[in-house]
Amino acid sequence: MLLLNNVTKKYGNFTALKDINLEFTSGVYALLAPNGAGKTTLIKMLTTLIFPTKGEILWNGNEIVKLDSVYRDAIGYLPQEFGYYKNHSPYDFLLYLAALKGIDRAAASRKADELIELVSLSDVRNKKMRKFSGGMIQRVGIAQAMLNNPKILILDEPTAGLDPKERVRFRNLISTLSKDRIVILSTHIVSDIETIANHVIMLKDHKLLCDSSPASICETLAGKVFETADITSVREPHLTLTERQEDGRTITRFACDVNYFGAARSVAPNLEDIFLYVYRDEQTVCREVV
Amino acid sequence: MTDRQKDASIDHILKQGLVKPPSLCQRVREILSMLGFGFIFWDMSYSICFTIPTLVITLLSLLFVPERFSYSAAAGIAPMLFLLITFFAETSERISGLYELKQTCRYTVRQITAVRVMCYAAAGILFTGVVAAIMADTVNEFFMLLPICLSMLFICAAVQLSALRLVRNGWAVAVISACWAAANLAVCFVVGEWWESFLRSVPIAIGMMAAVLSAAILVLQIKKMLMEANQYAIA
Repeated sequence: MLLLNNVTKKYGNFTALKDINLEFTSGVYALLAPNGAGKTTLIKMLTTLIFPTKGEILWNGNEIVKLDSVYRDAIGYLPQEFGYYKNHSPYDFLLYLAALKGIDRAAASRKADELIELVSLSDVRNKKMRKFSGGMIQRVGIAQAMLNNPKILILDEPTAGLDPKERVRFRNLISTLSKDRIVILSTHIVSDIETIANHVIMLKDHKLLCDSSPASICETLAGKVFETADITSVREPHLTLTERQEDGRTITRFACDVNYFGAARSVAPNLEDIFLYVYRDEQTVCREVV
Repeated sequence: MTDRQKDASIDHILKQGLVKPPSLCQRVREILSMLGFGFIFWDMSYSICFTIPTLVITLLSLLFVPERFSYSAAAGIAPMLFLLITFFAETSERISGLYELKQTCRYTVRQITAVRVMCYAAAGILFTGVVAAIMADTVNEFFMLLPICLSMLFICAAVQLSALRLVRNGWAVAVISACWAAANLAVCFVVGEWWESFLRSVPIAIGMMAAVLSAAILVLQIKKMLMEANQYAIA
């Protein structure tokens, strides 16, 4: 079990994260927040790249800083900007990272072959990565993160920049890998979370806003989300969420905090509604969906 | 402390699961045996390709140094192999997108860098010998010049390693290399004659002591870099 106790991270006078308390057991945990909310800071603390200013992070009851390489042996990490060696093949690259992870050569070779097959890169196993697409590179990235069969798999914005087909393939892969391990997924792409996450962790104003299942988070807006083809008729104060074209009409989806008895149709809220509602005052709301 | 108390303490320690941390030599041996030189210097061929011609040009420049400045020129050029290779290899390592990923592995990029710095320093010692041999006219002069050059190499390496340990910025290594070159040129222009006569007046014993002391500082820095992976964040 991975536990965060009152974790705070400060950079000088700036507080990047404040009093975060979280508990991770197996399953897919999605960190949902707009850019700059502290997702990457949290991920970097979980991967020991930076350390909390206050509080502690415990892995099976032991502080991860003290566990040192024992903890690093338990994690697999795919950074947001995944660098790779253009002049090497995925197989060579995996062997190299396996060595850094302390895996002996024979086992590394077997594991590299197994993972290359898992991420469907067998046909380019020995090709230089120079000409690989973004999706192929991400698959190499997930393969390297799995080399040491980690108990904690940490993925920072893994689907950013992928086309819809690659993204679906990637989600399925993560779903497969999430059995018997903690998968922590940082993203601001709501559709990724709706499909695969068991838990959603939302951050706002550098603090923990909620840590719950997608269904129970959606429940918080139940009865407050509506759709109408004539938004001008809605007199009550409301927040416009999304708009779409349907049969030549503009259907507006909106959230209304006060009791609404108008003609607009009540609909079941989804995570995107929650995201737009919760982060309505943020400047960098991402509404990217497949 | 009685034997019984000692036994109780040992039992307590064993129960806690404490293990003796490996020594510097054990850690280096472990990394070398696990990774081998192939993975320690993985994808560094470009850096070596840039270093060799730059080094040759630097060595050729020694031929044009006036004899009255031979000591100060040798002292300035002695760490050049070390500075150039760290400049090309470690800067590219630090600005690459893989740096963070490698820091999360069992053998962190900081630990591997420490082992590489040891290798650079070993190559630097050979280079220093060559520089001292080129600049010295007699055997006695060689033995006077060598410890001075070695001191410069080890001081430079210790400063460079401290920067690698403490500063995350990818260009810190390049800045130190540039500062070394600039400082040497400044010394030559400002107090050139005095600096040369000072270096010539250093007795062999004092030079040797300075070399041993600076080597000890370098070893301490290497040990810190290898052992305290959990003390300094990288971002």
